[in-house]
Amino acid sequence: MDEAPLIMGNPTFASITQQISEVVENKPPKSWYGAFAAASAGLLLLLIAVSYLIWEGTGIWGITSPVGWGLAIVNFVFWVGIGHAGTLISAILFLLRQRWRTSINRFAEAMTIFAVICALMFPGIHVGRIWVTYWFAPVPNQMNMWPNFRSPLLWDFFAVGTYFTVSLLFWYVGLIPDIASLRDRAKTRSKQIVYGILSLGWSGGNKQWRHYEMAYLILAGLSTPLVLSVHSIVSTDFATSILPGWHTTIFPPYFVAGAIFSGFAMVMTLAVIARKIYKMENIITMYHLENMAKIMMVTGMMVGYAYSCEFFIAWYSGNVYERFAFINRAFGPYWWSYFSMIFCNVVVPQIFWSRKLRTSIPVLFAASILINVGMWFERFVIIVTLARDYLPSSWEYYSPTVWDWFTFIGSFGLFFTLFLLFLRYVPMIAAAEVKGVLPQADPHRHNGKH
Amino acid sequence: MSSMNHDQGSAGDKYWRSLDHLADTPEFQAIVQREFPEHASEMTHPITRRNFLSLMGASLAFAGLAGCRRPVEKIIPYVVKPEEIVPGVAQRFATAMPFGTTAYGLVVTTHEGRPTKVDGHPGHPGSLGAAHAFMQASILDLYDPDRSKTVLKEGKESSWPDFVSAWRDLYAAYIKDQGAGLAVLSGSFVSPTLARLKAEFLKAFPRARWATYEPVSDENIYEGLRLATGATLQPVYRYDRANVILSLESDFLYTGTDSISAARGFSDGRRIKTEQDSMNRLYVAESTFTVTGSAADHRLRLPGSHVAALALAVARALTAEGAVVEGMSGVDVPSGIALEHEWIQAVARDLVRARGAGIIVAGYQQPPEVHALVYAMNRALQNEGSTIIYREIKDAALPNRSDLAALVNDMNSANVTSLVILGGNPAYDAPADLNFEAALSNVRTAIHFSTHADETSRLCLWHVPQSHFLESWGDVRAADGTLSVVQPMVDPLFGAHSSIELLSLLTTGTEVSGYESVRATWSLYLKAANFEHDWRRVLHDGLLADSALPAVSPKVNGAAIAGALKALMAAVSLPGLDNMEIVFRPSASTFDGRYANNGWLQELPDPITKVAWDNVALISATTAKELKLSQGLRDGQNHQPMLRLQYQGREIDMPIWIQPGQADYTVTVALGYGRRAAGRIGDGVGVNTYALRTSTAPYFDGGLRVARLDRTYPIASVQDHGGLETETLASNEIARRAPTVLREASLEQYRKNPDFASNDVVLPGFKGLKDKDGKPVSIYDAHAYDKGYQWGMSIDLNACIGCNACTVACQSENNIPVVGKEQVLMGREMHWIRLDRYYKGSVDEPDVAFQPVACQHCENAPCEQVCPVAATVHDKEGLNVMVYNRCVGTRYCANNCPYKVRRFNFLEFNPGTSGFMQEDSPEILKLVRNPDVTVRMRGVMEKCTYCVQRISSARIAAKKEGREIRDGEVVTACQQTCPTQAIVFGNLNDPESRVARIKQANRDYELLAELNVRPRTSYLARLRNPNPDLEQPVAG
Repeated sequence: MDEAPLIMGNPTFASITQQISEVVENKPPKSWYGAFAAASAGLLLLLIAVSYLIWEGTGIWGITSPVGWGLAIVNFVFWVGIGHAGTLISAILFLLRQRWRTSINRFAEAMTIFAVICALMFPGIHVGRIWVTYWFAPVPNQMNMWPNFRSPLLWDFFAVGTYFTVSLLFWYVGLIPDIASLRDRAKTRSKQIVYGILSLGWSGGNKQWRHYEMAYLILAGLSTPLVLSVHSIVSTDFATSILPGWHTTIFPPYFVAGAIFSGFAMVMTLAVIARKIYKMENIITMYHLENMAKIMMVTGMMVGYAYSCEFFIAWYSGNVYERFAFINRAFGPYWWSYFSMIFCNVVVPQIFWSRKLRTSIPVLFAASILINVGMWFERFVIIVTLARDYLPSSWEYYSPTVWDWFTFIGSFGLFFTLFLLFLRYVPMIAAAEVKGVLPQADPHRHNGKH
Repeated sequence: MSSMNHDQGSAGDKYWRSLDHLADTPEFQAIVQREFPEHASEMTHPITRRNFLSLMGASLAFAGLAGCRRPVEKIIPYVVKPEEIVPGVAQRFATAMPFGTTAYGLVVTTHEGRPTKVDGHPGHPGSLGAAHAFMQASILDLYDPDRSKTVLKEGKESSWPDFVSAWRDLYAAYIKDQGAGLAVLSGSFVSPTLARLKAEFLKAFPRARWATYEPVSDENIYEGLRLATGATLQPVYRYDRANVILSLESDFLYTGTDSISAARGFSDGRRIKTEQDSMNRLYVAESTFTVTGSAADHRLRLPGSHVAALALAVARALTAEGAVVEGMSGVDVPSGIALEHEWIQAVARDLVRARGAGIIVAGYQQPPEVHALVYAMNRALQNEGSTIIYREIKDAALPNRSDLAALVNDMNSANVTSLVILGGNPAYDAPADLNFEAALSNVRTAIHFSTHADETSRLCLWHVPQSHFLESWGDVRAADGTLSVVQPMVDPLFGAHSSIELLSLLTTGTEVSGYESVRATWSLYLKAANFEHDWRRVLHDGLLADSALPAVSPKVNGAAIAGALKALMAAVSLPGLDNMEIVFRPSASTFDGRYANNGWLQELPDPITKVAWDNVALISATTAKELKLSQGLRDGQNHQPMLRLQYQGREIDMPIWIQPGQADYTVTVALGYGRRAAGRIGDGVGVNTYALRTSTAPYFDGGLRVARLDRTYPIASVQDHGGLETETLASNEIARRAPTVLREASLEQYRKNPDFASNDVVLPGFKGLKDKDGKPVSIYDAHAYDKGYQWGMSIDLNACIGCNACTVACQSENNIPVVGKEQVLMGREMHWIRLDRYYKGSVDEPDVAFQPVACQHCENAPCEQVCPVAATVHDKEGLNVMVYNRCVGTRYCANNCPYKVRRFNFLEFNPGTSGFMQEDSPEILKLVRNPDVTVRMRGVMEKCTYCVQRISSARIAAKKEGREIRDGEVVTACQQTCPTQAIVFGNLNDPESRVARIKQANRDYELLAELNVRPRTSYLARLRNPNPDLEQPVAG
């Protein structure tokens, strides 16, 4: 890492605490209310769409035979992918001593948790009989039935569930010192009680810090394999199937790369907005944004490599079904989704070669949105591969209905509602950790120069 | 049957009258007359099944009025069990289904007195144990909730006694002046009792007029034979004895009379065990692709109006080859018509070579002159008496369009004061030029006797409900004359009467039960001394043994044929864009419109176009190009361009469908759609093409002009959308894959390379390492499947003609719901067995082949591995079983099925099954369900089970007798109904079983064997037998 300071404006410990805590303590800006109104309207749309779905059946969606999975699973994989960046930033970058992560890890983690909530909703509601979904769980029951451990959907259930649990714990553990700050600064009794309970008796003593950092390290160690495993396992939903275009060994690494790619894009989108609204430009600096852009460029190229590799293998394998599946992706009825994906995921990140472009806020913002659009299309392209498999007689065309779109839009409503509540009630930047990277925390200039 | 002969109409009536003044309020009367609750008739889109179902429940509230099935007189619970009924054990009864001028013997399965399934009668010459789609679906008609439930007078509720007393008044008047002004319009029938009653009627009313009309019939065949021989004859074909068959637009395998015995005979003539065997050869000349055309070894497409010229050219060629055909003197093949002379020569040589073992058959759409010529040709080829037998026709009312025209004439000149319409729906299906509706308004007392209060009923003073053939007594003759008694399986559900009962009343003025009338007729056939015994024998057997009518040897009148042909040839013209030919044909789903309200049939895709829920105007690709039309594929749905068809001053607008193999400049439209008063399923489905049809050219005619409209119309097609042909990427891939999916070879190729079907399968796995079955070794210890029963199926693609019978049989057996057009548009049809149709070759001259695909019951089933809750698993007998109770509905199994045979209940297709929305439940439609098969709720996956319920009942029967299940004891529904016996099912573990032996054949192959899923269903590759003189190599 270069010499540039991670935090601008030479703040003090107190000013950091003040800057981060006052966001929670003061009334939010007007734009927050506007955003919250929009997000909760989206959430309401989701509730309506899901209620109608449960009442009427999955037939309100565009799914059909042979495209048995539609937007629901596209959205599931999309949100799980987004949910990757948070834990990656907090765990892997923590272990790799990437100290620049401190400015973005808190809301990246929050984003992860909310994205995984959105993701988990989809497999739950997309089943035909929602009232028996609990049969997925390996609980002893009167039917004497276990779930089928050979099914990748069950692996999903465990993988995403574990990931969610560990991410939540990790996030919460990281929050404890900052909640304690809020408790100490709290002016009303109720806030003191709530923050008091949540801070678990944190006093900031030396011993507590020692235990805390050890716990944090252990959780980071636990989370790290999960970052890699969860999307690998999600990819086995496709990779272990028998279908052309799905049955490929490249899926696990390619999915993980794609997930990091989309996760960073989402963090970028959120960071650009949040630093502007809450005037955190000094904490989330251009340096952070630029680093994220570099990661996006690298993962984007990994994804691009995977796309070309798939094509090569389809041709090289000599498997006629595989070959057609890929030609059909690019030139069949869904060509537009394929080329949207290629443009957004492979072409767009190339602009980050230019330092000028990767340090331009509007460019970063636009690119991050495009990358997420592209990653959504990637999942769409994979799902609609179902439309043309082995026997041409059953080929169909899948087109989502208005209810598919309502559910999709509604999932953003859920995500942003949760995220805005997070901004309102929880310190969005890890104040304690940011203080750790201030120059005055390291008077002897050891950090960063091993 | 039981003696529950109460009067439904009056029972309902009485019940309501006891509620004193209530029944007399105008509001109440309005409700009663509406028959269905508020908004029923306002349904704008009646085919949306969801509306239909939501109305069902409410309608039932009124069922007590007229539709209650509970006997008023006596109710006996099974406290004392009737001797012959074991609750839960199905009973089977023999009966027969009248159809046009023939009949099909049936075996009907009933559960506790409730008929649930119809199958062919193995001993009956018309059905041979098989049943076509219409027979299978007739059971649903029985439970049609839209059947008329009460006598109507001027559209208002009346009662049978009211009608009887009204008729008695008329009777007294007409009997006085010998029936002057009285007329009867009936459908055709071949029934000793009806024929006797008709004769008695005409005796009682000698001045009365009797006309018989059928919109689609063999009238031209009878006329042609009369022209050639002077006698009224029924041709009976023995396709099994034929080596060479020439069909002149005859769809004898599907829409022709006696299609089952034809299909059986035809496929028997092609059944090949080894490459040493030989098979018959079929030539078809037709304008529209038919099932028969798809079975052809050589198909020639030409306009229907040119078939006569072709027939004449063939006759000339036959004469030149030494088989001298009479009836051609002085008749020349019209010049200017391009005929394929090479084709004609080859066919003629082949027919002459197969002298005495050939058949020339012309379709009922062809004019009588062609049939007369075909008669002469068959005679010249000595086919008569060997492959074709002519029998006299007895006890029949044969259709006659000119009688109808004369009747209409009389009606228009007010010479008809009372008209009794015995069945049929002339206001809908009579020729447009006769303007039957207007004529009917001149009749003072019109009485319409029909199952539904339909288009005709609405114009008549009286409507009298007619009973279904499964709830009435009757008798019929099959095409060969074999007699059967039609016995009721259930008391009339809605208190209707049979045509025999009505005709008895008309003739005598008194009520005679159908049972008595039939028995009275049968005293002719059964000896009085032994009557009861023989009667029971007939009822049990379903037919009277040895009652077929004798063959006759008619004389040919060459001069008459030549004279008629000359006139016909003079009228032949060349079709072009400004003089297109319109071709009418019965629908594969609704036939002539009579099945319009049958959901199973409406949802049954047309065998060739694969279009359900609509009729389309078929045009050839070349014609479409010239008209600048193309298939309207958009977002995976067909939004078909509309075409205005103008013919003889009348016009209709129809969506087009580009049909490969259609003759250029012809437009084929199906009859039987566009009903206005069929019921909630059939109303407004498709376009009424009778509006263009005239009495002079009922099947085809030139002079059609078309104009493109600026509208499109959505069409539900279950395969390819016809539009994949327009997407090069997909059509190229289909063309590349089809030969490996549906394997076929010519007989010659097969002889050269007997293992062609299995040759190109490359299985993955360890190279060279094969297990004892020659299957690649797996890294896992595969389950052995070598103990007990191991079920498997073989489907002979060489026998399958794509007739759809299996699809409907399966639907009936397995309680498969109807989903409606909207859902089919989205690709959510539920059929467990589908018929894949593949085109091969050019778009103008393609070959068509069919492949029935149901669950293949893979041993390495991909669906089983991916189900998270183990709802689909393997049983020890090799069945891939679906546990509905356990299914959560992730649809992962369906995604992972390489055959895409799994069907998902996306919505509540069976109302009431999910525990809520109970009010949607259509009670009467529940009666059609098979109690041995679970009715699936929404959100669960389903698929073919190999009829596991039938395996279970065979197992129970075997266990009780302490033996093994015998080969052939378990017959799946699709296998049972298959007219060509293409499907064989049984125990693979028994090397002597039929299926195990068939699977040893060298033509046996597994679909997608390269995936190593090890399907239990395998296919026998298809063979064609092209004439070496007509070198047309078969693709693949």
